[in-house]
Amino acid sequence: MSRLRFFLSRWQNWIGLIIVLTFTIMAVFAPVLSPANKTTQGVFMKVGRSTDRVPHPPSAEAPLGTLPGQIDVYHALVWGAREAMIFGLLVALGTFIIGVLFGVTAGYSGGAVNSIMMRISDAFIAFPPLAGVVFLQQIVAITIESMGGIYWFNNDYVGRVVDFQFTPPPFAVFLMKVDPILISLVLFSWMPVARLVNSIVITLKNTDFIQSARALGGKPFWIIRRHIIPNSIGPAIVLSARDVGSSVILQATITFIGLGGQSAWGILLSMGRNWVIGPGGDIFAAWWVFVPATLAIILFGTGWNLLGDGLTEMLDPKRAQ
Amino acid sequence: MLPPFLQFVIRRLFYALLSMVVITMMLYAGIMLTPPEARARLYIPPGKGGERASENYIAVVIRENHLDEPYLVQYAYWVKSLLTGSWGYSPTMRADVLPALLHRTPATLELATLSLLLLIPLGLYSGLLSGWKPGGTFDGVFRFLAFLGTSMPPFILSMILLSVFYLKLGWFAPGRLDIATQLQMEKSGFVEYTGSLILDSLVNGRLDILLVSLRHLAMPVVTLSLYHWATLARIARSTMIGERSKDYITAARARGVHEWDLIWKHALRAILAPSLTTMVLSATSIVTGVFVAEIIFDLPGISQVIVIAMSSYPDAPAALGFAVYSVVMVLGLMLVLDIVQAILDPRVREEVLQS
Repeated sequence: MSRLRFFLSRWQNWIGLIIVLTFTIMAVFAPVLSPANKTTQGVFMKVGRSTDRVPHPPSAEAPLGTLPGQIDVYHALVWGAREAMIFGLLVALGTFIIGVLFGVTAGYSGGAVNSIMMRISDAFIAFPPLAGVVFLQQIVAITIESMGGIYWFNNDYVGRVVDFQFTPPPFAVFLMKVDPILISLVLFSWMPVARLVNSIVITLKNTDFIQSARALGGKPFWIIRRHIIPNSIGPAIVLSARDVGSSVILQATITFIGLGGQSAWGILLSMGRNWVIGPGGDIFAAWWVFVPATLAIILFGTGWNLLGDGLTEMLDPKRAQ
Repeated sequence: MLPPFLQFVIRRLFYALLSMVVITMMLYAGIMLTPPEARARLYIPPGKGGERASENYIAVVIRENHLDEPYLVQYAYWVKSLLTGSWGYSPTMRADVLPALLHRTPATLELATLSLLLLIPLGLYSGLLSGWKPGGTFDGVFRFLAFLGTSMPPFILSMILLSVFYLKLGWFAPGRLDIATQLQMEKSGFVEYTGSLILDSLVNGRLDILLVSLRHLAMPVVTLSLYHWATLARIARSTMIGERSKDYITAARARGVHEWDLIWKHALRAILAPSLTTMVLSATSIVTGVFVAEIIFDLPGISQVIVIAMSSYPDAPAALGFAVYSVVMVLGLMLVLDIVQAILDPRVREEVLQS
């Protein structure tokens, strides 16, 4: 209880909480906030003729204006929140699962196995995720091509084009549905969680209650499930939660620079990038093409970071005293 | 017995090599997921048909390159080909991968070095000053800027910088050189020694070229520095806050040591180690940041390779080569920062000398 009170006593945590809650509400109630109609494609909705290449200011049918091609900013923003939230939470979940499994296995095995496994996780730290994103997409591309598909990268924020002359085999269909960005972000962000869990497990292993559980003849798997996981799960959840914001920002970055990914906010920015300086040379003349998406990305990242910092501080044993 | 410092460097090199082995094994395991017929295309040299190569020819390629053997055997052959410099042929670039990467390296190194030289002193300096008097005016301004720096995604900042300083004001420019300068350089007999425009223009005594290249580097350097400056300076500040109330500072102050000397002679040394450790840990994110800045500001550095590889048909050799090369860069950066830390920090130096 005192920990909760400590958490709530800081205004930074309140801001983080409010921002994250707002995005959650946007994500959950997206169909109510901006209903889809027959012009919707994914998260994008057209209001007006798509041949109209000039962004229009906010109006009744497009509350936050339109982008070149008459794409509704408000609709993409709201539905983008839903996609970002799902993407971020999935990355955090993946990071958490791999990190905990790896850290617990290494820590419980101990000795040489532990040092080898931890060296491996250290090696992953030296791998830039951008290279991983590209590498994974190329592997998927080759695999689909080897199954008879035609694969084409398109750096115009569309991503990739896959074409089969015949009914594609089930594995190819699966590969086309998987998001390579999601997988590579998980593959390259689990290491801190593994390290944290590992150090907790090693400390726990020598405590009296684990020793006595062992002496009583507890099987390793049972000890891990019953005693070790519950004790290391809190900090691991907090550490993975901090990935939600940063992975959504990284996804938007990758989409923006044209290396794949379907971040709706990233696509919004890359479609509007030529209109940041609006007509008349005024930076805010066409503000709706970049301000809403920019704010969404910055706030999403900041909100999760503040929340993560607050939770870390709350769980810090030094602070709790 | 080798001198201790050399031992330290050798130990670090060994760790870097170990990481390299783990990562290349993982990369090759990734490539192994694709069938041998598809992988054979990675080995087909240009002009041999590529897509339309006959099945017999592909079978020969598979046999010659040991593509149907167990994982470890294949991995060993691949490492051998990496070490001998045959990194494959990239169909999208129409060039061999390794020369293409090496040719673009100076531009990347220029950007990275310039940013690090700007952000490390600036980060330490501002962190020191604001941590010395937390709660002061300087500290307030600093904390606001650091918050802005960490929460502003670099790609958004660069989009805004490009719009304001290039499109509107025309002060800075993307790319590396404009065509007019390039033509003028060729005419006037500009000699390329290193490939780095900054160094070459100094050696050639051409200050005008130096200015032009700095004008093109300004925006990516600022974008890259701001984010990592904020991370570094925050660590420096919080260490400084912990350090300033310690006994040795109080004792030095009691002896009548001037405030200025307290900061620059005593406290600075204490905060170097944690700050540089942070930099080592964020080496990967610095290199990623360099790639992002290059792509957005259209600098022809090594990330140009993946931009080309990701714009039309699949090109695995380029992606694989880029992955290996970028890991080499990250490990190199980590090594350099480690060595700098060992040289600058008395505690680490002692440790190195004693071990």
